[in-house]
Amino acid sequence: MESQKEPLSEEALIRDDEVFLRMNLAERLQHILLVISFTTLVLTGLPLLFYELKIFKSIFGSARAFQLRGFLHRAAAVILIVDSLWHVGYVAFTRRGRQNLKDLLPRRKDVRDAVQQFGYNLGLTRFLHRRGIGKKFFARRPFWLFEKEPEYGRYNFIEKLEYLSVVWGSFIMILSGFFMWNLELSLRLFPLWVHDIFVIVHGYEAMLAFLAIIIWHMYNVHLNPEVFPMSKVWLNGKITGRELRTLHPLEYRRILEERRKALEPESPTWS
Amino acid sequence: MIRPRCVVLAFALCLASPTAPASETDADCLMCHADRDLTSASGKTLFIDENRYGLSIHGQAGLSCVDCHADLAKVEDFPHAEKIEPVDCSLCHEAEKSAVAASVHGRPHQAANASIVVSCKECHGTHDIRKKDDFDSPVFAINIPDTCERCHLGLVQTKRGGDFIRVYNESVHFKAAKKSGLSVSATCATCHGAHDVRAAADPESRVGRKAIIRTCGRCHAWIERDYLEGVHGKAHVKGLENVPVCTDCHTEHAIQTAETLSSSVYATRVASVCSRCHDDENLARQFGLITSRLRTYSDSFHGTASRFGATRVANCASCHGFHDIRNSADPRSSIHPANLSATCGRCHAGAGPNFAKGKIHVVSEKTEAKGAYIAKIFYITAIGGLISLFCLFIAVDLARRARTRWKAKKSP
Repeated sequence: MESQKEPLSEEALIRDDEVFLRMNLAERLQHILLVISFTTLVLTGLPLLFYELKIFKSIFGSARAFQLRGFLHRAAAVILIVDSLWHVGYVAFTRRGRQNLKDLLPRRKDVRDAVQQFGYNLGLTRFLHRRGIGKKFFARRPFWLFEKEPEYGRYNFIEKLEYLSVVWGSFIMILSGFFMWNLELSLRLFPLWVHDIFVIVHGYEAMLAFLAIIIWHMYNVHLNPEVFPMSKVWLNGKITGRELRTLHPLEYRRILEERRKALEPESPTWS
Repeated sequence: MIRPRCVVLAFALCLASPTAPASETDADCLMCHADRDLTSASGKTLFIDENRYGLSIHGQAGLSCVDCHADLAKVEDFPHAEKIEPVDCSLCHEAEKSAVAASVHGRPHQAANASIVVSCKECHGTHDIRKKDDFDSPVFAINIPDTCERCHLGLVQTKRGGDFIRVYNESVHFKAAKKSGLSVSATCATCHGAHDVRAAADPESRVGRKAIIRTCGRCHAWIERDYLEGVHGKAHVKGLENVPVCTDCHTEHAIQTAETLSSSVYATRVASVCSRCHDDENLARQFGLITSRLRTYSDSFHGTASRFGATRVANCASCHGFHDIRNSADPRSSIHPANLSATCGRCHAGAGPNFAKGKIHVVSEKTEAKGAYIAKIFYITAIGGLISLFCLFIAVDLARRARTRWKAKKSP
């Protein structure tokens, strides 16, 4: 019985192959709807920005095909709007949604994490330190040595940046797109030069979103050697204990702590 | 024009023998020439169809063979010499003959292997000449294209080649004449004239840049009126060169209705037609035009959609009009600020005064559309900055992973 008083090992509390739910069904569906609408919107919207490209001309090079393009674009826009409303409702009215949002809000630590991750990857300051350069500085501020990778919670700064970008981008795109769709309404409310801003913003925000997804998101969830060829979280929503420990150590430790507490006698004085 | 002397002669002959056009001399001629098998030494048929001649304008007028073949009138020995003088139509038709002599057809044309002179018979035929309103006449309005194209499609090409003529056969004018049988549709002679055809560069030509407005306006009267009221027409009347005339937008021979897909003024092609001049640096300097019209149009949704073939979006003509295009300062202009809501409202129902509060065809956003400019600069900075950061981060991340892997391999 003596041994039971010893704290249980991490291994025993969270097994490496234990499955945790990272994205529930609602979140996965929201993400899939976003994928569908975003892809369609990009494919049917880019031709308007790059009208010189032969490929777009061959696809949409007739009045009817072009009309279909517009229809698909607006249909996808409706999907995006519905998806966004669902997400807003989900975040507002479910406990899990509210917790997710709280975890996704940017904090000072995220900036620190980003700097630390970059510095750690670069390894320049460690190299300088080994050469004996800036010894005093590093003695006073060991953070700048970037000896360790930052430890992430449920969402790291990359994921937070992506989430907030999607929120910001969707808001901008839906707002400007709505007024472009309802031009007559827009020009009843605003002068032409304001409407022109909607058009400009819609195009450039689209470029930003497209590039961000193609470069940043695709790297982080597909090409990154850690997950290559693809992280399956968006399909099955599952993450293993091992992944939790390496990728989200702070969350891992929080769960560990919770489980430890649950196993401990409520108060040692009572026994 | 037929000279009065000839008319009197013909009339008298008609009265004398209204049913039997062949005079005694004619009968002499027909003794041989009524033979269907009569040929020259070179095998050319010398048969004269008496009945067909009788139906011809000259036959009906009662002209006899030697009225035209005057050199044979005094021949006593038959058969006469094979080589005879060419018929001189100017004996009666002097005005026409001199008109032709002054026209392009009056000068010998240097064809590939011979010089060609166009004589009356090339267009009118010989013994079988009909009045020009006779359906069978080669110069009947609807038959004229065939008559002219006999030479101009192959044998004799003008400077701009056979295709320049050939496209006429796809034009709305040709179709109206040939398919719909509309004799008032424009055929070659309608625009170029009949006997006095002149090269377009000739100042007296009906199809030169100066005269073409009047030539087209003979049929398209109100279009001429509208054109003359617009900026292009007013400049044209002043005698300015380089002002668009009908053919610059509609082409010469290949004219199609604006609704036809292959028309030069089909909705999706209008922008490129107008920008030929309105994006031309030299003309811009001459007339004080603003260039980049095509680019600024193409950048708009109207222009982009038009490039993809959409026809229900505005092209230049939708807003500016076409024949009577006016300066935006003209209160009657469709793009005068006061008229913009009506002009835009043709497509955008309920277009209000806000349509006029902003600029179309913005060349420099910096000065003309500050709001859009600021948004653009913001986004270009944001895109450039963020994407470079992303790429840098990814590159460094990949490098670190590669380094770690390499180290792990070296010292397992």
